[in-house]
Amino acid sequence: MNAKEFQKSIYEAILQGEREQANVLLESYALSRSYRSAMSEVMEPVLEEIGIAWDKEDISLAQGYIAGKVAEDCLLKVNTEDKKGDVAQTAKGPIIIGNIEDDFHSLGRKLISIFLQSSGWRVIDIGNDVPAVEFVDKAVEADARVIGVSAMMYTTADNIKKVRLELDRRYLSGKIKLAVGGAVFKLRPELAKEVGGDGTVANGFLAPDLFTNLWAQSVCEVPL
Amino acid sequence: MTSMERVLSALKGTEADRRAFTMTLSLYGAKLTGCPLPEYYTSPERYLQGQIAVSEQCKPDILFAPFALSLEAQAFGSTITFLEKSPPNVRKLLIRNPGDIGLLKAPDVEKDDGLQYLLSSAKLLAGHFKQAVPICGVLTSPMDLPAIIMGVENWLEILLFDRKKALSVIDCMSGYFVSIANKMFESGVSFIAMAMVFTNPQILLQKTLAEFIVPALSEIFAKVKGPIVFHHGSVPIAGYLPLYQGLPNVAGFVLDHRDSFADARNRIGENRLLLGNLDGPTLGKYRTVTAVEKARNILETTKADRSCIFATSGGDVSWDTPLETITGIHDLLGSYGGNNAG
Repeated sequence: MNAKEFQKSIYEAILQGEREQANVLLESYALSRSYRSAMSEVMEPVLEEIGIAWDKEDISLAQGYIAGKVAEDCLLKVNTEDKKGDVAQTAKGPIIIGNIEDDFHSLGRKLISIFLQSSGWRVIDIGNDVPAVEFVDKAVEADARVIGVSAMMYTTADNIKKVRLELDRRYLSGKIKLAVGGAVFKLRPELAKEVGGDGTVANGFLAPDLFTNLWAQSVCEVPL
Repeated sequence: MTSMERVLSALKGTEADRRAFTMTLSLYGAKLTGCPLPEYYTSPERYLQGQIAVSEQCKPDILFAPFALSLEAQAFGSTITFLEKSPPNVRKLLIRNPGDIGLLKAPDVEKDDGLQYLLSSAKLLAGHFKQAVPICGVLTSPMDLPAIIMGVENWLEILLFDRKKALSVIDCMSGYFVSIANKMFESGVSFIAMAMVFTNPQILLQKTLAEFIVPALSEIFAKVKGPIVFHHGSVPIAGYLPLYQGLPNVAGFVLDHRDSFADARNRIGENRLLLGNLDGPTLGKYRTVTAVEKARNILETTKADRSCIFATSGGDVSWDTPLETITGIHDLLGSYGGNNAG
């Protein structure tokens, strides 16, 4: 089978909920190449397809979740492979992600973390219920140019305004961009601006593009 | 006609003097009475006062027992937080990872303060409104409750990858659910509405639903001593109604605001009660004239359908919704139903 045929079979396995089967297929592809190739040549295109289907509401949350788990399984193997081969890891970033203060709905954030890592980003995940100050502190400490803040509900999304205020207070709004996301932003995309976000996307599969754009904006505005 | 007669007419598909109407105004009673939410969601007496104000000023044909699902999660050990303009929310989950599933233990309905508040409020409402206005109890679906005890991710992980554990969780939930649902009926509610999220093919795999979620629900619902209204739970359901058609004791379905009534009716057949579908949580975003127009469109679409009730979809009508929006919608109803039906 060529890469395209592997993509098709893995996509089908994910839709059927067959995580193990998808992993076996990836392993089979990696055998004659590497898991890094499996990730970039097979899994990334599959995730793009899943993202398109998700956008059209053609797949379920469970299928999206399984896609994330298969990507995560593959990433772990890439990391092991890199360590064994002593391969220097060239990652983009780092970027900070977390759920805003009072928000404990981690599912979306964890999937986004997987999709970003699959695209080569170094992700620093600071967890649930994170105060605004901590987001900014961590970004400064790690020299991150993008913070991704997740909130599931309107009531908790409102707390994201505090991150914007904190960035403004420290004159960091040019250098550190604020990506926002979560279920409530899908229902009310205009909320992204209301809470001070620099950008959002309709689904987590599109997150790598958003972070790339925001990182580029940051570099344009504050080159050093 | 009384509200009860009007609602029963919709259930039977017979002619009524006008279209039965309700909005999810559980939270709104606190606004109308100026009651602080921590008090409203802990005092059955204050809740009753709120719903009396709702009945007098908004005149819905169905009133709601407290719509505070987080109180059930609290009974299992999750921590909740009170918010300024919304019902209480889960703050800390009882279970943080699937390995801690041993912590899951069904609460004693008789001893938990939050659950007793739900039951006492229902009893006070039923006692006050007697049989004139139906009271709708609101409970979390046994398939959704785990998500607010252990989080969506953990519950999804278990459902997808650990069938044995999933069955043990459902077993725990079903015992609790049957117990509180039947106590709610003893308290005098006319029916129970439940948001059904982890029952929807947009959430779970079709095979998971067919193999064990729907069969488990069927067993659970059969033990409930009263009618259940199946609520969309913020996910469209019209396309999937046949999947739930055979569930015992299900009297009707609340549609999502994105669902089409015509599509739902085609799929579920005549004479099955449908409710909806003006989005409640976003109602406050619109000017009154726009909101009333949206309601009119729904009423026009369903004009010829006697087996439906105009209702809001989603969760509570938002706090910021002007009272005149609600009364404006109510005032439309004289033109719909009865001799005006198609």
